[in-house]
Amino acid sequence: MIEIKNITQAYGRNKVLDDVSFAIHDSAVTALIGANGAGKSTLLGVITRLIPYISGEVYIDEHEIKSMKTKEVAKKVAILKQTHHLGVRVAVQDLVEFGRFPHCGGRLMDIDRQKVEESISFMDLDNIRDRYIDELSGGQRQRAFIAMILAQDTPYIFLDEPLNNLDIRYSVEMMKIVRSLVQDLHKTVIVVLHDINFAAAYADYVVTMQDGKIVSHGKVDEIITKNKLDGIFDYDFNIIEHQGRKVCLYFDSNEKDSLA
Amino acid sequence: MVSNHNVRRSGSKKMCALLFCALLIAIALSVLLYIYSRTYAKANRIGLQLTKNAFNSIMYRTLPHLLGMSVSAIIIAVVSLSFQTITGSRLLVPSMIGFDSVFVFAQTVIVFILGAESKLFVNPYVNYSITAGAMIAISMCMYGMVLRKRRNNIVFLLMLGIILSGILRSSASYLQVIMDANSYNQVRAATAVTVNNMNVGSIYLVAPIMLVVVAIVICRHRTYDVLSLGVANAKNLGVAYEREVNFNLFLIAIGMSVSTALIGSLTFLGLLAVNIAREIFKTHKHLIIFIGSSLVAVFALIFGQAVTELLQGAVPLTVIIDFIGCAYMFYLILKVNKKS
Repeated sequence: MIEIKNITQAYGRNKVLDDVSFAIHDSAVTALIGANGAGKSTLLGVITRLIPYISGEVYIDEHEIKSMKTKEVAKKVAILKQTHHLGVRVAVQDLVEFGRFPHCGGRLMDIDRQKVEESISFMDLDNIRDRYIDELSGGQRQRAFIAMILAQDTPYIFLDEPLNNLDIRYSVEMMKIVRSLVQDLHKTVIVVLHDINFAAAYADYVVTMQDGKIVSHGKVDEIITKNKLDGIFDYDFNIIEHQGRKVCLYFDSNEKDSLA
Repeated sequence: MVSNHNVRRSGSKKMCALLFCALLIAIALSVLLYIYSRTYAKANRIGLQLTKNAFNSIMYRTLPHLLGMSVSAIIIAVVSLSFQTITGSRLLVPSMIGFDSVFVFAQTVIVFILGAESKLFVNPYVNYSITAGAMIAISMCMYGMVLRKRRNNIVFLLMLGIILSGILRSSASYLQVIMDANSYNQVRAATAVTVNNMNVGSIYLVAPIMLVVVAIVICRHRTYDVLSLGVANAKNLGVAYEREVNFNLFLIAIGMSVSTALIGSLTFLGLLAVNIAREIFKTHKHLIIFIGSSLVAVFALIFGQAVTELLQGAVPLTVIIDFIGCAYMFYLILKVNKKS
């Protein structure tokens, strides 16, 4: 279980996170949504120690993160940032093997090889394992990075806007992978999403943020309501139900006419 | 599929071994060429018979030179690669952003304040520890600050380096102008080292330092592999990024200070060696590129020096290396621009 208590972080005088506290539900997909600059990525960075925080505490399985060694944290939480530009040319298999670094320091043992193989086949990368990352399509590249994080074998996985630069097909595929991480591998996944509809369709819990604060936190159905979303995104939403699923419509129905 | 994959991997291993052998042979040949150029070629030119005694006495002077060149080439290659990895750029080497002018400045200041007879200047050990200390302090402050805040901003880093080396160079030459002639000569002797005019006396200090630096870097080659994935990935995989960067700047400052003291500044050797090694070995594994670029650097330096000696020093080696290095850098910049 990951618990965040009274986290504050500021760039200069500008508070990016303001006294944020919440607990992440285990074995579930939690979606983090909010407007641009609400502090979602910063919150993810703070929990995974990419970004230092000014005050507060982050507990991973009841250990305060600052008292843990970097390697130990890396065995508990894995984070995937949205930029996948690598300075080096590596093949898919090499990238996945990097995921074992916190466990074996780069010296692969049998158990590490086995984990690498499992991740590669789970992400269906067998036939492109020798291809270089920069030769892959966006979706394949994303899968390769997820495989690296799977090889890292952490109970908690953080994904920072994994749908960026992916087309509809790959986005859906990505979210299905996220679901199967929870269902098949019992991971805890926290994912920053821009598209509320993906959150509504694939997340178990939703956390909404605004101006560095958590506005609401709860099950999908409780959060994806016109009342709550209007305030967070400062926009007039139209939420409909289709085959038992909630879908948010962002556009004015009159817009087209007024343009014409 | 898996077995296929293993074949590919062991194939590339064999390839690497072959390339290492080829480089070693090339180095051996260029060593022979260098010895030939200093002995038989010279004797022929002057029209003297090469006696065994003469040969021996020339060799007595040649061997430290060979050792010195190899030692500094290895240091420059290893340090340049680690610098490229922590800055995430294939275009940067430490001397490009002013590490060597810190050396000249430190030497000048020591002599200016304490005098040429001062023990601090004359004793090579004390002198190097002070110079290296100054280089470490300055580089940690400047680059530590820049790298932390403006990561990947190479233009900013280069500009800062150019300004820094400009300031240090002109203040050093100002101090040299106002100091007395004797001290000035001492400073010149200490700072005007080149490949031809090597500070051979310091080699017994530099060689062990090189061994230590290289050993540390090579032992940690797996960490460098992870660092090359970028900050976010490296941190995610449990590398203490800031600590690594600081430690590396520390190693780089030590390496650059001793190699500049021994052989002077060779701005483009590191750039050339590391990038050629990358092209030859086509791998991301730092262990292989560390060894490969060291071999390439040793070969380039000794072969170039041999050719220079054969041409009777018509073109100094630094000019050749800088010329080729410069052209290669243009090529790299154009290539990088095309990609993005």
